[in-house]
Amino acid sequence: MSGSLLLQTLILGVLLGGLYALLAAGLTLYFGVMRVVMIAHSAFLILAAYLAWFFHRETGLDPLLSLLVTVPLFFGVGYLMQRGLVARLRPATLTMMSVLLTFAIALTIEGLLGFFFSGTQRRINLGYSGTSIEVLGAHVAVVKLIAFGLAAAALAGLFLLLKVTRFGQALRATIQHPEAARLLGINTDRIAGFGFGLGLATAAIGGTALALDSTIYPSLHWHWIGPLMAIIVVGGLGSIPGAAIAALILGVGQSLLQIPMGTTWAQTVFYVALFATLLVRPQGFFGGRLAQRF
Amino acid sequence: MPSASDTTSAAPAATTTSGRSTFDRVLLGARIVVLAAVAVLVLTFPSLAADPFILSVGVVIASYAALAVSWNFVGGFTGYISLGHAAYSGLGGYATALLITRADLNPWVALVVGAVVVGVLAVPIGIASLRVRGASFVIVSIALVLILLLVAQSWASLTGGAQGLRVPRPFGEDVLRPEQHERFFYLHVAFVAVALLLWWAIDRSRFGMGLKAIREDEDKAQALGVPTGAYKLTVFVISAFMTAMAGGLYALWFGYLDPIFQFSILIGSYMVLMSLLGGIRSLFGPVLGAVVVGYSLEFFKVHYGDSQFHLVALGLLLAVVVLFMPDGVLPAIGSLVDRFRPDQRTSIREMTAEELLEHNQRLERSEATPVATPHERDLETVPSTEEKR
Repeated sequence: MSGSLLLQTLILGVLLGGLYALLAAGLTLYFGVMRVVMIAHSAFLILAAYLAWFFHRETGLDPLLSLLVTVPLFFGVGYLMQRGLVARLRPATLTMMSVLLTFAIALTIEGLLGFFFSGTQRRINLGYSGTSIEVLGAHVAVVKLIAFGLAAAALAGLFLLLKVTRFGQALRATIQHPEAARLLGINTDRIAGFGFGLGLATAAIGGTALALDSTIYPSLHWHWIGPLMAIIVVGGLGSIPGAAIAALILGVGQSLLQIPMGTTWAQTVFYVALFATLLVRPQGFFGGRLAQRF
Repeated sequence: MPSASDTTSAAPAATTTSGRSTFDRVLLGARIVVLAAVAVLVLTFPSLAADPFILSVGVVIASYAALAVSWNFVGGFTGYISLGHAAYSGLGGYATALLITRADLNPWVALVVGAVVVGVLAVPIGIASLRVRGASFVIVSIALVLILLLVAQSWASLTGGAQGLRVPRPFGEDVLRPEQHERFFYLHVAFVAVALLLWWAIDRSRFGMGLKAIREDEDKAQALGVPTGAYKLTVFVISAFMTAMAGGLYALWFGYLDPIFQFSILIGSYMVLMSLLGGIRSLFGPVLGAVVVGYSLEFFKVHYGDSQFHLVALGLLLAVVVLFMPDGVLPAIGSLVDRFRPDQRTSIREMTAEELLEHNQRLERSEATPVATPHERDLETVPSTEEKR
């Protein structure tokens, strides 16, 4: 393997890992605030990708502009979904039943996408689609850089929101200790709703980033759900830094393995990591005590 | 706070021992009549079916019932919800097909050997995935299906890859399609009957009690000396074996395996939906669910086959079941019957420790506010049996 190929692979791996990190952060948020495993996250991702594609087809404008609509829309949907559906489940069986409920939502979204946009594969063609720039002798497509930039900006925004604002403090308090947060006068129900909305907003950004660079079709979300789930388990359920680190490592690992093994087999790296994590450290490698029981 | 002594119903208490047993006798009689009627209907179905298509739908529904009952060994007894049981049905199908084509085994021997192989494979999988509870378990079960899909698609020299795999017909070429449907219908029904018998036997055994203790509160069960790990693994392997057998039977009937359909999370979710809809804690729940879901699936495929509408219908149905009747239809009917039971319900209610805690917390909260919901008022104010005497 030549040096430049290795470098190119590494760069692509980091770019891919950045996108994974953004999406896994959303999944981790849901788990943190509600102990909910949100299977529908990747379905919303594909939905956002379709909305970006549709927006571009109808208006001819840059698909990134669709974020102005989809981010607030997804935030609202997430809030309503948590308050209207997830919060209605019995606490005793919440974890299991939430998996089934969000699975049902994923199926509904997939079905509706197929119904309205048909199963045909779609792709956005932009003026800058084909261009690539040279970084240290490696060719990197501009759209991949844009997608990574979007993911990095969103993650940084999320980090700042959680660390600096009062809402972020309340959200983190709710994740760490719901009862104590309630004692301090935090409306944990509403905060959980906002946390859910925030998670879905990351899906809107991630989906748009995805639409820039890949061919989309309704059942594509099954290809994403496995790697994302593996990332949050390896990173430790509920831990955002853990998810980010695991996403980068696994993203790079996948890219590196693609050269000797081919794309399909390289995907197994996620599942190998998942099973290895469960056998060695069921609470995840970077997670805290939160993850122990889940 | 409900306990064994005060969970009497609010019905009038003027009953005698004979009155109670009359009610039970009527109930038993009604159950026998319903069961006999269903049995007759099932056994005469092939001769009643209008055409081979209807007959084939019957086989599909029977196959769903076989899968759902097999799934319910893990789901019903331990409460571990596996979305990935399609892994075992798919493996069972592929193992059966490969044993016939590559090892030249007799189809029926291949079916059993294939299921045994899958059962053995399920041991390490079970050890790894049963280490975690709740959400992680579900994630692992999904991951398993996705891995197997990748393998089946990529390992084309063995599995035929995306081309699929042809399974030789077990009855030879001279058996016509309708006859084949009829035979496989009875085979599936016999399989379901055996699986139900096994479920019933476990349900009444000490092993079954231990499993249900795990479902209610795993930590307490362990503290009381239930070998939770061994019990979970055993029932997991039984379930994988049965599911593989059901998958193999389906493969022999259908005659063709496509990785996308064999290793599909949809198939796994059908099993969950069917069992949940009928009631995972009841013997016949999964069968009832399979009939309802299987029929509606076939209906949607026939009428809206080209669109993705059946996915929407399935999604909405699953959401409704999860939100509004997580205990299933049969337990709901059971508690409805219990309402008319003339008193003396001394058995311990099927209420998990967590539900009891939840209930108590609700009561505590409602004590603060003077008005309780009618249901809670009943539980609080109905005098216990001892007080009445």
